[in-house]
Amino acid sequence: MAMVQRYFYNVKHSYDRLTDMFYWPMMDLLIWGLTGLYFAKLGGDSQHATTVLLTGIIFWIVTWRAQYEITTNLLSEMWDRNLVNIFASPLTVYEWISAVTIFGGLKMIISLLFSAGVAFLLYQYAFLQFGLWLFPIVVSLVITGWAAGFVVAAIIIRFGMKVQTIAWAGAYLIAPFSALYYPISVLPDWAQKVALIFPSSYIFEAMRQHIFTNTISVDKIVISFAINLVFLVLSICLFVLSFNKSKQMGLGRLI
Amino acid sequence: MSQKVLEVKNLTKKFGKFTAVNNISFEIREGEILGLLGPNGAGKTTTIHMLLDVMDPTSGTISYFGKNLKEKRSEILKQVNFSSAYISLPWLFTVEEVLRVYANLYEVPHKEYRIKRLLSEFEIEHLRKKTIHMLSAGEMARLLLTKAFINYPRIILLDEPTASLDPDIAVKIREFLRRQQKEYKVSMLFTSHNMAEVEEMCDNIVFLNNGKIIAKDKPENLSKQIPESEVEFITKHIEETKKFLNSQQISFVQNRNTFRINIKTKEISRFLTLMASQNLEYEDISINKPNLEDYFLKMSERRNL
Repeated sequence: MAMVQRYFYNVKHSYDRLTDMFYWPMMDLLIWGLTGLYFAKLGGDSQHATTVLLTGIIFWIVTWRAQYEITTNLLSEMWDRNLVNIFASPLTVYEWISAVTIFGGLKMIISLLFSAGVAFLLYQYAFLQFGLWLFPIVVSLVITGWAAGFVVAAIIIRFGMKVQTIAWAGAYLIAPFSALYYPISVLPDWAQKVALIFPSSYIFEAMRQHIFTNTISVDKIVISFAINLVFLVLSICLFVLSFNKSKQMGLGRLI
Repeated sequence: MSQKVLEVKNLTKKFGKFTAVNNISFEIREGEILGLLGPNGAGKTTTIHMLLDVMDPTSGTISYFGKNLKEKRSEILKQVNFSSAYISLPWLFTVEEVLRVYANLYEVPHKEYRIKRLLSEFEIEHLRKKTIHMLSAGEMARLLLTKAFINYPRIILLDEPTASLDPDIAVKIREFLRRQQKEYKVSMLFTSHNMAEVEEMCDNIVFLNNGKIIAKDKPENLSKQIPESEVEFITKHIEETKKFLNSQQISFVQNRNTFRINIKTKEISRFLTLMASQNLEYEDISINKPNLEDYFLKMSERRNL
């Protein structure tokens, strides 16, 4: 709980963190929502085009935020020259992992509710249209974000602040293959094969199916959970290995 | 004899072909203050980082309270803490927020009472609501010490704890540390570049050079290893004194009527008797016996040769 408290104080004092939670999601919703409306008018299918874009944005915020929280919380220890302080305490690396996932999860829920609220106000977009399916969809996307977050964190804990840009760019590496706004079928053949590896692609496909047919593919959600489970376990193992490797050289060099 | 609080055995740290810490062994007993000295790059910080488990040793063992650090890490680190001039704290937090986080991290009972008590001990209660980046260097050093004592540590590792403190505050900090040692039998590992402070504070010294322990003794015994003292005297008999010193083959530095020589401590009385026999009177004299700083400089010089 001490680390959750530590990251809560970070948000309380940092305008950057508040901007991350509210400003950028709002800008994304404005730009893509209006773009969706415009293209829909050109194509004549206003309802579906806007819904696909808005749902894509809101669901992507879930994955992106889950990844971002893990990596920026790790980086904040380096920026504050506080890394040695926390890992010279009784805190274990697994407790740190738990803290960043719990805290990231809480912040993601706030961002998600805020984005859904803004989408409703601006576009009368009904986020709750997915009903109870919303729960497994969001959980699956969060796990994808956590897995991506621990892979990125593994690189940062190993190489330090010189690679910090991947904290922001990390999740976007899987975005094109996740097919946020378009079906996987529009990707080139090789990219379609790559997309099958990423659990998020199954969720976004299921999301579009629901929008267009009002049915949901349970198979796709189950597959996404199965892949997610493997990814999450592997990413945590990678982070712990990288942390231990970094400890061989000394965590003090990272601050 | 008091119990061992920290025992380091054959500790080695290699970075590729470079050996930063080379097979060192030492121990700290309950209530003991051990000074870890050495020139820059001697391996002090590397050693401290291994003792805090933020760096893995290449070989050797570290045990606190008779338990292996690797095996009982969390249990041990609850009773250990540190302060270093080379690290910081979250710079947007207020002082009380930082202390609350660390009190929770170390699972301190009666957190608010402990925080209040320590802020008062270090005379920084008025900074409670102040943001870390607004603190002066001296205030920051005191806050780092407050954080270091938050968990009632049985042993504390202090890396330059009084660096950047005003002399009057440094005195108070030393008094606080001494009190902790006497009243609560807190053990300390202490590094400082202020040799007078080390001489005053430490019961024993470990001197590191090129990653190896080259001396391990009480501060006064280390000083005695420097055989020469500096003798400075003022005389009216300038020419006669120069002639006398040359005849004795004693090199000297002269500044008008002041002479400065280095001479073996045990030969000082013989030298002064000889001067008197030559009717060479002096108006004032000071004898500076070697201290820990002289030992430090001598050892560091040896390293640079």
